Amino acid sequence: MKLLWKLLRCHLSVAQVVGFALAGMVGMAILLTSLQAYRDIRPVFTQPDSILRGDFLVLSKRVSALQALGVGSTDFTPSELDELADQPFVAAVGPFTAADYRISGSVGVGGMRFSTYLFFESVPDRFLDVAPEAWHYEPGSKEVPIIIPRNYVNLYNYGFARSQGLPQLSEGIFQRVGIDLELSGNGRHETFRGRIVGLSNRLNTILVPETFIRWSNERFGRGADVRNPSRVIVETSRPVDEEVTSYLSQRGYETEGDVRDDGQATRMLQLVAGGTAGIGLLFSVLAVYILMLSLFLMLQKSSDKLRDLLLLGYAPRQVARPYVRLAVGMNIAVTLFALAAVWGLRTVYLPLVAPLQENYAPSGMGVTVLCGVALCGVMSLLDAAAVRRRIARLRPGVFGK
Amino acid sequence: MRERPFPVGAAALVNDRTLRIHMETITLQEVVPSVFAGRPDAAASQVWRREVTLHRGEYCLFEAASGAGKSSLCAFLYGMRGDYEGRILFDGTDIRTLAASAWDGLRRRSLSFLFQDLRLFGELTVAENLALKNDLTDYRRAEELDSLLAEAGIADKRDTPVAQLSIGQQQRVAFVRSLCQPFDFILLDEPVSHLDAANGEVLSRMLLAEAQRQGAGILVTSVGNRLPLSYHKVYTL
Repeated sequence: MKLLWKLLRCHLSVAQVVGFALAGMVGMAILLTSLQAYRDIRPVFTQPDSILRGDFLVLSKRVSALQALGVGSTDFTPSELDELADQPFVAAVGPFTAADYRISGSVGVGGMRFSTYLFFESVPDRFLDVAPEAWHYEPGSKEVPIIIPRNYVNLYNYGFARSQGLPQLSEGIFQRVGIDLELSGNGRHETFRGRIVGLSNRLNTILVPETFIRWSNERFGRGADVRNPSRVIVETSRPVDEEVTSYLSQRGYETEGDVRDDGQATRMLQLVAGGTAGIGLLFSVLAVYILMLSLFLMLQKSSDKLRDLLLLGYAPRQVARPYVRLAVGMNIAVTLFALAAVWGLRTVYLPLVAPLQENYAPSGMGVTVLCGVALCGVMSLLDAAAVRRRIARLRPGVFGK
Repeated sequence: MRERPFPVGAAALVNDRTLRIHMETITLQEVVPSVFAGRPDAAASQVWRREVTLHRGEYCLFEAASGAGKSSLCAFLYGMRGDYEGRILFDGTDIRTLAASAWDGLRRRSLSFLFQDLRLFGELTVAENLALKNDLTDYRRAEELDSLLAEAGIADKRDTPVAQLSIGQQQRVAFVRSLCQPFDFILLDEPVSHLDAANGEVLSRMLLAEAQRQGAGILVTSVGNRLPLSYHKVYTL
């Protein structure tokens, strides 16, 4: 083996080997880094309650002049809901159920008593972005948990309270404020005690548990239990897809707020990571090509020696061994360098990503290492097969083949 | 090196080193180099277009003027070339049907060949050139190699790169290398073309001793400067 290497190494071109090593290292480092970065950053976009999240859409129908005149309806019919649920981008559909009776609420703040008419809605629990402990209702109980939009708090603190000379309230205090509720309808009139148990970023309405809506609609409602929902919340896997946008506009559905911008960030991340990985892959393929060309050139220059070795009785497999070892060694070196580069770059970007999410936990490097090793294996197998084939072709004694 | 069964049908017997299956005969049936196919002078040959059987243990000389196809015959027998008509059989098996891997085995265990153009590796030393073959066959111990070199009169060149040797010395290195393997037939293509009579005698003695030890056949070509040996048969090409 040592002798074979001594005999064959003289045609090794240092420039070509260095060329391969550089191209290979750059390519593999880019490829593996984009993979690692994608895996590290993705949780920021997809974890619940992350600031960059946006995969829920609240849909309603556009109000037109006809509806204002009382013709047509902005409700979703059961068939429309079914069709919506059947769309490939829809993971789940949750209808809003509205209270079918009159509600008035009053609250005392700083010695003043405010009273107003209210409305309640509910959505299935899985669509909530908050999960308060007290979020359940026993039919008949006088305590009703309520979730209000966080922007109501802001509206009060920065708008109403300041202009009226009232104290600003923290979210914690807000949640301790009790609301006296008067529900009337169906010939009944009862008082309840509402308590704010959570603030929602996602749902721009006053929410009560579904069990309460069902119970109270039966008790105070006008028997119009079959009324269709006028708003639905949709969980989607692709919040910024072209398909989604065109479907919604074709149906005349409107989306609420700007939740969909967040999804665009996910899309961007995918694009950037995919593009970078593509460039890395291109470099890697080029590097593999350079190495193979270098090996072939070496084989070409050594072809007389190789033929003589084969004439002495060496099998192509044996003669190929020095070349295969060289290729495998180079591939391993390139892979190790690339993994080291990923590790290094990670120490730079992880501190930048971490502040984007509370309790941010980056994914490990396991998958990246595995991919690097697999790539190294595939490249080495390709090289070995190509070298052996080339050498076998030099072998004398295969007539007519 | 692990011994594999010889691919051509032959009798098994145990020699002093390991279990080997020997090749007993080489048969040429109506063989003629393709380039000679249309020529009438091929009819005068004792080999071309004849049926000739060479036996293990026989010593044969193939004589001819230059250009009569001596090296071609060696190349056909060693499986380096296939541009001939007719059939060559090893123990009854047409060598055209042998797989490439079978040839690897033959060249390690049954056929030794002293190439006319030697095919040594100039940048390697004498010892390394021998080791390249001997590592493959695992046939000779280091002391044996040294004594063969000494016998051939080139012991002092052991660690000299082959490229620095005279052609006569190189011929002796190639000869010693051809003895670094077990064989049933040894082909020597003009083995003494660059040697004086005294060195020719030395080679002849070494060759005979090894062939007798292995019970092998010797096939020698010559353009006139023949290796001194008591041949069983002399063929004119």
